[in-house]
Amino acid sequence: MQFFGGTEISPSLPASTASGNNGHMMYVFNRNGVCLLYREWNRPLHTLNQQQDHKLMFGLLFSLKSLTAKMDPTTQDKSNLGVPQLPGQGCSFHSFRTNTYKLTFMESPSGIKIILVTHPRTSDLRESLKYIYNLYVEYVVKNPLYTPGTPIRCELFNTTLDQYVRSIS
Amino acid sequence: MPPVGPRSGDAIFANVERVNAELFTLTYGAIVRQLLTDLEEVEEVNKQLDQMGYNIGIRLIDEFLAKSNVSRCVDFKETAEVIAKVGFKMFLGVTASVTNWDADGTCCSIVLEDNPLVDFVELPDTCQGLYYCNILSGVVRGALEMVSMKTEISWIRDMLRGDDAFELQVKLLKQIPEEYPYKDDE
Amino acid sequence: MYCNRLYANKPELAASRIDAIGYQVGHQLSERYTMERPRFTDHLDAIKFICKDFWSELFKKQIDNLKTNHRGTFVLQDNRFRWVSRMSLDPSENGDLSQENAEAAENKAVQEPNMHLHFSCGVIKGALHNLGIACAVSADPSQLPACSFVVRIKP
Repeated sequence: MQFFGGTEISPSLPASTASGNNGHMMYVFNRNGVCLLYREWNRPLHTLNQQQDHKLMFGLLFSLKSLTAKMDPTTQDKSNLGVPQLPGQGCSFHSFRTNTYKLTFMESPSGIKIILVTHPRTSDLRESLKYIYNLYVEYVVKNPLYTPGTPIRCELFNTTLDQYVRSIS
Repeated sequence: MPPVGPRSGDAIFANVERVNAELFTLTYGAIVRQLLTDLEEVEEVNKQLDQMGYNIGIRLIDEFLAKSNVSRCVDFKETAEVIAKVGFKMFLGVTASVTNWDADGTCCSIVLEDNPLVDFVELPDTCQGLYYCNILSGVVRGALEMVSMKTEISWIRDMLRGDDAFELQVKLLKQIPEEYPYKDDE
Repeated sequence: MYCNRLYANKPELAASRIDAIGYQVGHQLSERYTMERPRFTDHLDAIKFICKDFWSELFKKQIDNLKTNHRGTFVLQDNRFRWVSRMSLDPSENGDLSQENAEAAENKAVQEPNMHLHFSCGVIKGALHNLGIACAVSADPSQLPACSFVVRIKP
């Protein structure tokens, strides 16, 4: 699914740098909507406080998923708009692009949601998000000092993640 | 629809980091023994093992999903199969089978013929009532809960009690959809 | 390794239980791995067995560095100890402001992983005990993912 980006409305779209600086920010939510992690690399503008920002992002995903499932022309089996679904139920979207950024999204069947906001010209990042999910497993879930469901504060995860996101092009 | 994931866990099992089998089995044995010493009541030990399993299950699910590439767990039947065939292989190195489905597909049995937890184990008479492998039921319960399935799990057969296999009955109580967690609209 | 949550508010008791579990395991394992060996001639010989054969069986690698004061204390260092290789702490607590905070953070950085190392210490203690050596074992995880174990042999 693509919004404005698909038709290249903006001719002056900045060229993406080869690598190093394409990641803007990332969110990880769990199945209860708790923001486990917010990490930012390149975000010139903050208009909301953090809590509102997280809430808005979660709301965006929640509504968009509900809409995409509702609009699905291939299946009859759907619930009403806004009715909560099971993670993985119905179809879902994996990215959208505006003229200024691209948002890539993945959700595991356990309800872990990873949202990566990048430069609009970055390539298909679905595999990257899977890779980040694997990093989450290795450095967060397997960290015995981490308590499931609480905000992620793991140095090893952060450094590995930063390094990986820098390589995204 | 594409398949939800791999049909067996062999390939994944070959690739995951493995722990020394004796260490694993002996450690589990030592934990059970310590619990028996500390808690005295066999019932209480069963409960603690289940709780430990649950704590492990809620973590293990993500490793399972990440490594097996399973993309959805919405259908209980599919999920039970994939946990038995792929999950058990991945983490215990043995394959389990799923049988005894009830008519409405909400209750089944996971059967283990081989179980590394019980190598070198023989239960003394004083441990009547102990479900030695109760940690497994906790793991399955915890893992399923993270994919929205609330279940009730009980042992039907136990080789340490003279049966010919281990059989875990898994009963689906309900599937819990995701809630929008923010109530107020400020 | 998952922590035994039974004694959440009694850390010493939890530590001794986890240590005891490790002890049983170490004792049994060293029994298995020494079945076909001649008896060890001295303490150093037994410690070397722990560093090489025993560690290799468990972790597919040997202890990286062994030091001793020749008076019954041995320091075994594993530069990348598998059981703590994924362990990391809150980065914000290390980016501290005052001297006091730095000390508190450092304390925490040692204490929390320590809880998870009682098992390993128990294993080493149990293994050595099975070889007829009574000792106390403690761990120093301040340089994660490296970890040192200090073995003090009881005279």
